[in-house]
Amino acid sequence: MNSAPGPATDRVIPVNVLTGFLGSGKTTLLQRLLRSPRMGRTAVLINEFGEIGLDHLLVQQVDESVLVLQSGCICCSIRDDLKSALRGLLSRHERCEIPAFDRVVIETTGLADPGPILYTLLSEPVIRHHFQLGNVITTVDVVNAELHLSRNREGIKQVAAADRLVLTKSDLAEPGQTAAVRDELTRLNSSARIWDAAEDPVDVDFLLDMLPSEQQLNSARHRSEEQAPQGQERKTGKPAPLIGLRLHDDSVSSFSLILDRPMDWTAFGIWLSLLLNRHGDDVLRVKGILCVEGTETPVFINGVQHIVHPPQHLERWPTEDHRSRIVFITRGIDQGRLRRSLEAFCRLQVAELSVA
Amino acid sequence: MCGLCGVFLTETHWTDVSVSTPGSGGRTRRHERLHRVALANRILKHYGLKLTDWHGSAYLLGSQTGQTAIVPSVAAVWPAAEQLRRRPLDPLDEGLIEALERD
Repeated sequence: MNSAPGPATDRVIPVNVLTGFLGSGKTTLLQRLLRSPRMGRTAVLINEFGEIGLDHLLVQQVDESVLVLQSGCICCSIRDDLKSALRGLLSRHERCEIPAFDRVVIETTGLADPGPILYTLLSEPVIRHHFQLGNVITTVDVVNAELHLSRNREGIKQVAAADRLVLTKSDLAEPGQTAAVRDELTRLNSSARIWDAAEDPVDVDFLLDMLPSEQQLNSARHRSEEQAPQGQERKTGKPAPLIGLRLHDDSVSSFSLILDRPMDWTAFGIWLSLLLNRHGDDVLRVKGILCVEGTETPVFINGVQHIVHPPQHLERWPTEDHRSRIVFITRGIDQGRLRRSLEAFCRLQVAELSVA
Repeated sequence: MCGLCGVFLTETHWTDVSVSTPGSGGRTRRHERLHRVALANRILKHYGLKLTDWHGSAYLLGSQTGQTAIVPSVAAVWPAAEQLRRRPLDPLDEGLIEALERD
């Protein structure tokens, strides 16, 4: 196979993770995405070949083998198969066995915990050099959402890790069911944008574009601000759904904190690393923009369980409001205590030290 | 990248990344490290532990009984501290929060 023009390995290649519970329509969505001309140079890694065939040049199956680091947690395990598959793509392109590719989509199994996949992408040095994590897309079967998410911890983790939530099978749902699921998902992960696969045409840019986009930050802001006008603690839920759905247990909650004063980045890092060390399994998602002392532009943070992306400077604030805004999705953590803890850490001060 | 597994990574841990805008008069790398150590010690003192910079490349965590551990990043301090003290270091612990609020 000849290599198509354009190097695959000269720049950092975005990797999108497509996850979702069993039978929630991941492969159908992937099939629709791959029909777009924009996806012509996309390599696809799938965990299992399902009933739906993928007619695409660059489809490769990976086995789900997990290498758990000694004294590591489950989310911080290296997906050895994924590491080999990504490295293999680079090698095969260099040997001209496969065409150049400018994007990778990983379709996970329905039961996959997204944590190890994200950890592999963010921590393995060679992979970090060549690839960067793009949007995490999670499909949610509207008809079976309640069943899937109330019985499976992985389902909740998949929704919490999402940057895009894709509703599937809404054309088969009962009246009001789609709105109820949408509301519940917004309550669970307010920072993710929701797209209805049965109603909306495929929008590749919207689904796959890299984070952080200002629209997304704007959206997160508006959602949090519409809950409560003045900023202490803000639950990110919306009004009660049309029908009573309970997709997750009461211990899972989503809320955002707004901090009025610029924060000391070091104090924040100490707090968050200590929080994730002790409660990382229950901090399903942390995402926000920070107003940091010593810098005029906002700093974007994004974490899934114990895994935190490197902080990124955004070019500018999305609005005139320059306060720090952090969205949390947690399980069994008291929001008030979390806020008091963060504020206590951010108030820590030490005398400026002189360096010889 | 990870509070539990940071010790295995060769890349700079996210907690060690400076986010100051270049030219903004922010702290130098050396200042950042000392500031990080000083702030971490505000927490660690509640557990009878002390952190020092170790040749600008790692951190030395010590207990009052002379036990020590060398760790590569602030995030790796916490599991090491829990091992030395044989108890959890919990930022949501009411006693710690109240102590910090009094400080």
